[in-house]
Amino acid sequence: MCKAVIITVLALSLNTNASAEDDTWLTRSGIYRISFQSELDPIIINRIHTWVLQVTTPEGQPIAGAKITATGGMPEHNHGLPTDPRMTEQLGDGRYRFEGFRFHMNGQWELTLTIDVEGQRDTVVIALTI
Amino acid sequence: MSRQGFRTISVIVAGVLLTIVTWWQFGPRSPAPWTDTDIELLYSLSIHSLPTLASDTSNAVADNANAARFGQRLFFDTRLSANGRVSCATCHQPERRFSDGFPKGRGISLSDRNTRSIVGAAHSPWQYWDGRRDSQWAQALSPLENPAEHGGNRMQYVRFISRDPGYRVHYEALFGPLPNFDDTSRFPANASPATGSQEQAAWAAMSPADQRLVNGVFVNLGKAIAAYERLILPGSSRFDDYVNALADGNVVEAADALSIDEVLGLQLFIDKARCTKCHNGPLLTNNEFHNTGMLSYPGDLPDRGRIEAVHKVLEDPFNCLGEYSDDPDRHCPELTYVRTGIELVGAMRTPSLRNLGGTAPYGHKGQQASLDKVLAQYNESPDAMIGHNEAEFALGLSRRELKWLEAFLNALDAPLATSEEWLIRPAELDSRK
Repeated sequence: MCKAVIITVLALSLNTNASAEDDTWLTRSGIYRISFQSELDPIIINRIHTWVLQVTTPEGQPIAGAKITATGGMPEHNHGLPTDPRMTEQLGDGRYRFEGFRFHMNGQWELTLTIDVEGQRDTVVIALTI
Repeated sequence: MSRQGFRTISVIVAGVLLTIVTWWQFGPRSPAPWTDTDIELLYSLSIHSLPTLASDTSNAVADNANAARFGQRLFFDTRLSANGRVSCATCHQPERRFSDGFPKGRGISLSDRNTRSIVGAAHSPWQYWDGRRDSQWAQALSPLENPAEHGGNRMQYVRFISRDPGYRVHYEALFGPLPNFDDTSRFPANASPATGSQEQAAWAAMSPADQRLVNGVFVNLGKAIAAYERLILPGSSRFDDYVNALADGNVVEAADALSIDEVLGLQLFIDKARCTKCHNGPLLTNNEFHNTGMLSYPGDLPDRGRIEAVHKVLEDPFNCLGEYSDDPDRHCPELTYVRTGIELVGAMRTPSLRNLGGTAPYGHKGQQASLDKVLAQYNESPDAMIGHNEAEFALGLSRRELKWLEAFLNALDAPLATSEEWLIRPAELDSRK
């Protein structure tokens, strides 16, 4: 886990099945396991950057052909993300390039990722403290 | 009342008064010691955390010193206007930290919004209060054709440059031969797609190839001006000296840098007043768009801000993705992943807090004449006239706390990091040679 980004999974309060073990998160209905790697490590505010998301089965088998969308924001301030990040490339091995992340305040952020593989859709909420 | 009773009450009253005076003098005026986390945050706000200016790949001459010299001449030249009396420096005055001291800019007439300082603006992905331009060179072109500002048109400007012997030499040394604009059947006296109806009609009658010739030269003027503006950068303030001393553990130097009131203000700034939510990073701005419930300028409708500007910047032919960008890869992540949405209604770009002393009045319409009025606004946090006030919780600071906060903000003033040769009019520079 990167030093300055403390990732806290609010499993109870957000009613997700997320698990922070090994920096991976299980989606709400338990269909996918996801993890991410940020181009910026640690993530710092006010700099646009890219993530690579990994999508696997709960057991860790890579999943190809996923369509992933991201929404999010800061619940405390009632505002969304300052950018509209999007999946731009399938890198193979269940890895997906996601461009356009930027965070413009320190504090608690929540990201909701929706993963859709041939109509089988599931979501996960990731809480980040930046 | 008995004598005894009177004495008792007098003693109680005196005791209460003494307690109040003691609290006023000594109580909260000793700043709490900083934690390691605080010091890390303070360092992130200091000028020493300002990264080296990233290259502007959309502008091939952005870091060319000759372009900056050419741009400086253009910046101060009033001939680049409809009436010969307005230059960039009319509103962006070096002696006022490149702002003008008016609520709204005053060029040919009154502009719509307060003049933003250009100090450090090269670090921002967006220009203007609403971010309707995404580079300094694209921004520099806009006032030239704004009827309330320079009031001219691009055809007029490129012809002027091509006919001025001095400028012609500067231009061609940087950008190659100027097209010949003498044929008035191809290049009318006045033409632009962005100004009045007559100029628009004249522009529409030109061939696309000729339009591109004119745009190409016009854009290069903006790129030279931007090369100059990139040099206008903030310097180290007493706050930065304080953080440096703290980081070195030098208590004596820290105490010399900021007064107790200023330190108390700084503590409020990063904590109770929650200023660093938006005023963060070494320029004390996240350069993002927020609705903070600023009241409208008297007589003006509420300003819709970013929600309208998003579409303008996406459709701007001079944006980072457009044909006039010099970046062959069109690597424009901010524009590519720009957001829109209802929360941008009434949102304006966070201003830097460096050099507030020279840049009053404040707010996108210059609504707030002084810093204490800005702070009072956040302290009360009124409902937004349109959209939603993100700073929705009143801060509830006392009058003393507001004074401390103001004292700290004034400690962010500093001479620019730019050498004097760039801060004076080229005519004055020439006379010294």
